[in-house]
Amino acid sequence: MLSRPTTDQVLRQVASDLADLVLPHVDGEPARVAVQMMTQLLAGCAQRAAHELAWMHDEMAAIEAAVGDIDDDATQAALAAFRDAPAASLHLDDVAHRYHLASDALGAAVEHAYRVGDRVRSERLRDLLAARSATEMTIIGRLDLVGRG
Amino acid sequence: MHDPAEMPVRLAAFLAGEEPEATDIEVTSYEVMTGGYSRLLAKATVHWTIAGGRRQETFVLRGDPPPDRSLIHTDRAIEWDVLRAVEGRTNIARPRYIDRTGGRLGTRAIVLDYVPSASLLPHMASLADHSHLPDPLAEAAASFHTIPLEEVPASLARPESWEAYMAGRIDEWRATSAAHVESLPILRYVAAWLHAHLPPPVPLSLIHGDFQSANLMIDEHGRIVVLDWELAQIGDPREDLGYFKAVAQAAGPDLTGLDAEAFCARYRALTGFSEAELNPAVLAYFLILGVVGTVRRLLEGGAEFALGTNHLLASVFNLNSIQFGHAMWLSVSRQLEAALVSTKGA
Repeated sequence: MLSRPTTDQVLRQVASDLADLVLPHVDGEPARVAVQMMTQLLAGCAQRAAHELAWMHDEMAAIEAAVGDIDDDATQAALAAFRDAPAASLHLDDVAHRYHLASDALGAAVEHAYRVGDRVRSERLRDLLAARSATEMTIIGRLDLVGRG
Repeated sequence: MHDPAEMPVRLAAFLAGEEPEATDIEVTSYEVMTGGYSRLLAKATVHWTIAGGRRQETFVLRGDPPPDRSLIHTDRAIEWDVLRAVEGRTNIARPRYIDRTGGRLGTRAIVLDYVPSASLLPHMASLADHSHLPDPLAEAAASFHTIPLEEVPASLARPESWEAYMAGRIDEWRATSAAHVESLPILRYVAAWLHAHLPPPVPLSLIHGDFQSANLMIDEHGRIVVLDWELAQIGDPREDLGYFKAVAQAAGPDLTGLDAEAFCARYRALTGFSEAELNPAVLAYFLILGVVGTVRRLLEGGAEFALGTNHLLASVFNLNSIQFGHAMWLSVSRQLEAALVSTKGA
């Protein structure tokens, strides 16, 4: 396969052409809103295409490190499910599945920290969630509610 | 409802059925409107002879999209009941007619009076000073939050108690995470945090459920018109205020936050709430809690897209709002910890 231009480069250009070349010639408001949505979604897809596998891998490692010592059955069961899942494949569906399992362990750990009133742990886990959120904001950029109001 | 070739005839026949004494009904214009994500909207001008005179009226039709194009599923009949309950108390587009089966207008639809007005968002964007708007906003919210529960439509579910209602609302965050196509730990965090920082209780009331700038207009008298009541329910009225604040973080200005103390004071004066029951910190708590219904519906749409059961680009686009919410909930919950007393340790 030809790897360059990369997927994100192509998607970015499609988004740019939609906004600059197509949108000015679209008259109907519903169609204009659809094109604006497409432009934003393509920009987000470009970010994901470039980085999402690496981001998910990094976050899974951070979650595993943060919840491994938590004395809670639900957290440890979720962590075991994550560790049992095959890790060799880099196909997006497979990585997304492991990411889901790691996320489940993180969710269980957060609930446990609040249930037992472990303020230090809950703040540490919240930092992990904040890092996830920062990644999401990198993907979406600014929020533009096209078509509203 | 989006076929301008067919709809004038359908609408004229519908109006003839609703107003048997009306004659010479002509639908002289029919145009599709944008602005609502969930319902089909159209504006129609009608000339007819009714009540002894020739009149021109403009209506807005608000109807269900086809099932495979539907973002959320709500009931037009319940929305109609709510509109009738708030009419005369809250400034709304007056409900005139309903097609309960969709047999006459092509889809279940409500026909409303068209209100000459400007959308609040562009209206605010055109102004340098918004300081005159928070009071009307507080008054608009209080106008339906103070309707006695016995006058709220019986078709809306009555929670057992405030405590049961809040527990259910917080559980909705957990259930939404559990029902999604992937695990959502931020939602589980939100549920745990909300449970640990419950505010003082207030009486439950009718709430709008989607109280945000995009559903508000300014009429020619400078009053706020409240639209889109399809998500109305009985709940904690502070949810509407928090929801407004939440959406305003993405599409401002935040009228509740220009002078948060003054906004809360105005609302308290209209509702009789105490300062402990509503203050800027409690309002911010509801910024998080109040969005759970929308969060659930948007995630359902995203999940349906992921599973291939809907093909709406808007379902994916709306997930951007969820991700924006993640950042906001984390930030606000961290900031509020000093102001809200934890009842559960962490």
